[in-house]
Amino acid sequence: MTSLVAPTFTFTLSTRSNAARFGPRIGTISLKRPIPSSSSENDLQISTPSLITTTSRGVVPHLSRDHHSQTSAIKWVNVPFETFLEHNPPVPTLQPGNDPLHTFLGFGLGRHLVSMTARDPADGREMPPNGNKQISAMTLRGVRKLSPTEWRNYTQTCNPDIVFALSDTPFTDPPYSQKRLTKSIDRSASWLATMLAPSPRGTPNIILHMAGNTSIPARTAFSSSLLEPLFGPEAEAIAPFKTLDEGVTGYSFDLVPIRQGIDALERKNGIDAPVSIAPLFESSLNRLPTEKIRIVNSVQTPHEVLDLISTIGIDMFSAECAQNAANVGVAFDFAFPVRGGEVVGEKKQLGHNLYDTKYAFDFIPFADSFRGELPPDTNGVQQTVVDETLPVCPCMACSPFTPPSRLYHGVDTPDHSLAEEQFTHPDGSSLYQPPFTRAYLHHLLHTHEMSAHALLAMHNLEVFESFFKGIREVIAANEGREDGEKRWNVEVQRFKDTYDDNLRVVEEASVGWKEVDLARGKGRLAREKEEVVAE
Amino acid sequence: MQFQIIAKCPTTRARVSRMTLAHGTTMLPTFMPVATQAAIKGLTPQQMESLGVTLMLNNTYHLNLRPGLKVLNAAGGAHKFQGWKKNLLTDSGGFQLVSLSKFTTITEEGALFSSPFTGEPTMLTVMHISSPFAAQINDPFQPEESISIQHTIGADIIMQLDDVVSSLTTGPRVKEAMERSVRWLDRCIIEHENSGKKNEQNLFAIVQGGLDPALRDQCLDEMIARKDGVAGYAIGGLSGGEEKDVFWRVIKQCADRLPEERPRYSMGIGFAEDLLVCVALGVDMADCVFPTRTARFGVALTHDGPLNLKLSKHATELKPLDDSCPCPTCAGRTSRAMLHHIVTHETAAAHAITLHNIVFQARVMGEAREAIIGERFPDYLRNFFARYFRSSGYPEWCVNALRSVGVDITEDSDIPIIPGSGAKWEYAEK
Ligand SMILES: [Zn+2]
Ligand SMILES: [Zn+2]
Repeated sequence: MTSLVAPTFTFTLSTRSNAARFGPRIGTISLKRPIPSSSSENDLQISTPSLITTTSRGVVPHLSRDHHSQTSAIKWVNVPFETFLEHNPPVPTLQPGNDPLHTFLGFGLGRHLVSMTARDPADGREMPPNGNKQISAMTLRGVRKLSPTEWRNYTQTCNPDIVFALSDTPFTDPPYSQKRLTKSIDRSASWLATMLAPSPRGTPNIILHMAGNTSIPARTAFSSSLLEPLFGPEAEAIAPFKTLDEGVTGYSFDLVPIRQGIDALERKNGIDAPVSIAPLFESSLNRLPTEKIRIVNSVQTPHEVLDLISTIGIDMFSAECAQNAANVGVAFDFAFPVRGGEVVGEKKQLGHNLYDTKYAFDFIPFADSFRGELPPDTNGVQQTVVDETLPVCPCMACSPFTPPSRLYHGVDTPDHSLAEEQFTHPDGSSLYQPPFTRAYLHHLLHTHEMSAHALLAMHNLEVFESFFKGIREVIAANEGREDGEKRWNVEVQRFKDTYDDNLRVVEEASVGWKEVDLARGKGRLAREKEEVVAE
Repeated sequence: MQFQIIAKCPTTRARVSRMTLAHGTTMLPTFMPVATQAAIKGLTPQQMESLGVTLMLNNTYHLNLRPGLKVLNAAGGAHKFQGWKKNLLTDSGGFQLVSLSKFTTITEEGALFSSPFTGEPTMLTVMHISSPFAAQINDPFQPEESISIQHTIGADIIMQLDDVVSSLTTGPRVKEAMERSVRWLDRCIIEHENSGKKNEQNLFAIVQGGLDPALRDQCLDEMIARKDGVAGYAIGGLSGGEEKDVFWRVIKQCADRLPEERPRYSMGIGFAEDLLVCVALGVDMADCVFPTRTARFGVALTHDGPLNLKLSKHATELKPLDDSCPCPTCAGRTSRAMLHHIVTHETAAAHAITLHNIVFQARVMGEAREAIIGERFPDYLRNFFARYFRSSGYPEWCVNALRSVGVDITEDSDIPIIPGSGAKWEYAEK
């Protein structure tokens, strides 16, 4: 078997961003693929801060491959690998070629940075304890054990662009004792060393989860252990690296176990002693190099994103909140920086629960903060005035376009059909079509049509990415200014004053989802049966 | 509608034609995917366009319940509501009305029915509540109303309301239904003539008469006499419960007699073998939920027969569904193993297989058109059946039906002939 070599991952912070240990920062990820995949069109760049698209069983939920490649926000895709442990050996490891994971899952080399993590960072379900030499992973066929050596083999064989090192993150019964957390940081460090063992393939690009849960001393100890120069057999085991940290590309923080830990602590100590997240992250990063990329999984709101950018300087955020909202029927509608003047009255919601009957006749695009490339076309029956100064949402719901080509199946080409077929404008630009409307989505949700979730997933990811683009622009504009920090804080405050950070629409939509589910026949399978009769 | 035959098979009754409607041209024979509730499950209209689909079906009964006519009116019709730029066909709503409602009674006036969801009298005639045409809640669903609703929906092809009886019904009810369908056709024609929609929308008649050749002949006589009022003919009353050997004979009888210069539409036909037999007998159009529904259950259609991706034999199979298939799923080299991993767990699996199955249906019909125009349709039939049924054996009824139009698929073939309705595929739904 040929040696698969990992691509070169470079993360460059803007000069000014690099000066401070904590605080808003912008940067660029640049991925260069090795021979034989190397070619400029297989390289890719991501401006940070930005989002990471999450996957379920290896797919971006609800999106067919043509749809995920049409969604510009989908650049970094994270693949929890545990479901593939249902089969031994895991099937992606059987895929031939230089880029088995990309190939098996249908992600494009020049389009998608694919990272591989053992467990789904969003899954907080209670699990059997991890061991010294294995973690417990969740599959449809129950719990599977995964050892650091297996993880090293699987990741080497699958050759993703980024590997999350195996971390001993307990999901047993928080809050965790000092003894348990000590075990956790020792194991995580030792499992990292396994990943760093010399290999003809070179070292993969490794992201390390910052262990220690809610304990500042444990977090500090973990970071220190990374920076400690190793000697003797320990040093040989990770040569040529002198410290564990030298072999690490970046750092990650999973909010799900941290929140569980905080909740448990607050239950134990009373809510008078709240634990906040920023000091925990600071304690992990206090001594570590500032120029490495920082990732957070499972933020719940854009507000939380802004806080973590302001206080810590996080570079990448998983997009679960956007994707989960799409799952239950919510269309995101927010923008940063906030346009226009002061907010009067009630704060705005972060999106629209399209189950709500108020949308039944609402023939406008999903979001007020964005327009489609074309205005809605309702035959002049409904007049809608489109604010041309609004930014365009590029998603396939707001700005759908005629496919640039179509399939022909026999005697249906224009020389037979005599039809004039136009796929693009004469200059080659897309032939946009009117946006899908809230009224249509309302209908699709109430009839349980899966297309609703495909359109919402694409839209929410693009709105979330627009939010990050706005963040990057505001940071860039304020860099080097004396009052830069103040101006940033003003924009953050304006956002918080404009948008409510409660997730009421998501809760309401979840209720709507369940009601339609019940009305149409108790559960997915029963519903399917009913549709079979009805069609 | 412009309908022009551009080629005829010298052996069978198959033909290739060009049907131009208000939303473009569709080459026939064609298969119409079914977007029951104004969406092909999980896909967008742009995806359907990219697959080369130029004609699909919406169900009147469903659209009338949701989103309702007020919404469709406000949207400017079903095309705009769902963002579909190509041709659209709606059924009359009668079939679902009868099959979904427990308490339907058919009278000369129309169909009386109660709520399909609860059956409660308070929910009587849900269809009417959302309909601007209902004067009273207990009004029957009349032929005129079906046409009016279809005018509001705005499909390029609309269907007459027919008096639907199960194909297993026997006795005087079959004759009554046939005769009533003829009378209702007259009422639909008048409603359509008076609507001013004749230039954009085209009314199709539905031939009834059950499985009785004499009744079918009577119905054909009457409906052919009304040719000037209709743009095309559907062959109705075949619900799938009848013997396949009876089914094809009814299709043949109707297709043989229907006017040459009108498209012929076989309702609810979707298995590849049924499609090709119907095409050989002279049918131009067919629709069925089968290819999209079976996709959701994890079954992919291929030239070598259906594949049930839930079966563990596909778990490590790294090849695509069909190497030669141009659909996004196969062109993107999605492996059977990957589909096996996600099938029935992720909606994306249904989408991937739906894309493929729609293209499979389109290819079966496209290859048929190509073969007809190239005067090698009998060869195409022989090759298709030999490959599709290699492992299961030829359904006897297909052999009989194709012999009736001069094609013997058993010629030079050692594939056994299976009596009865034919192939027993391992469909996941069983
Ligand atoms: Zn959008
Ligand atoms: Zn395919």
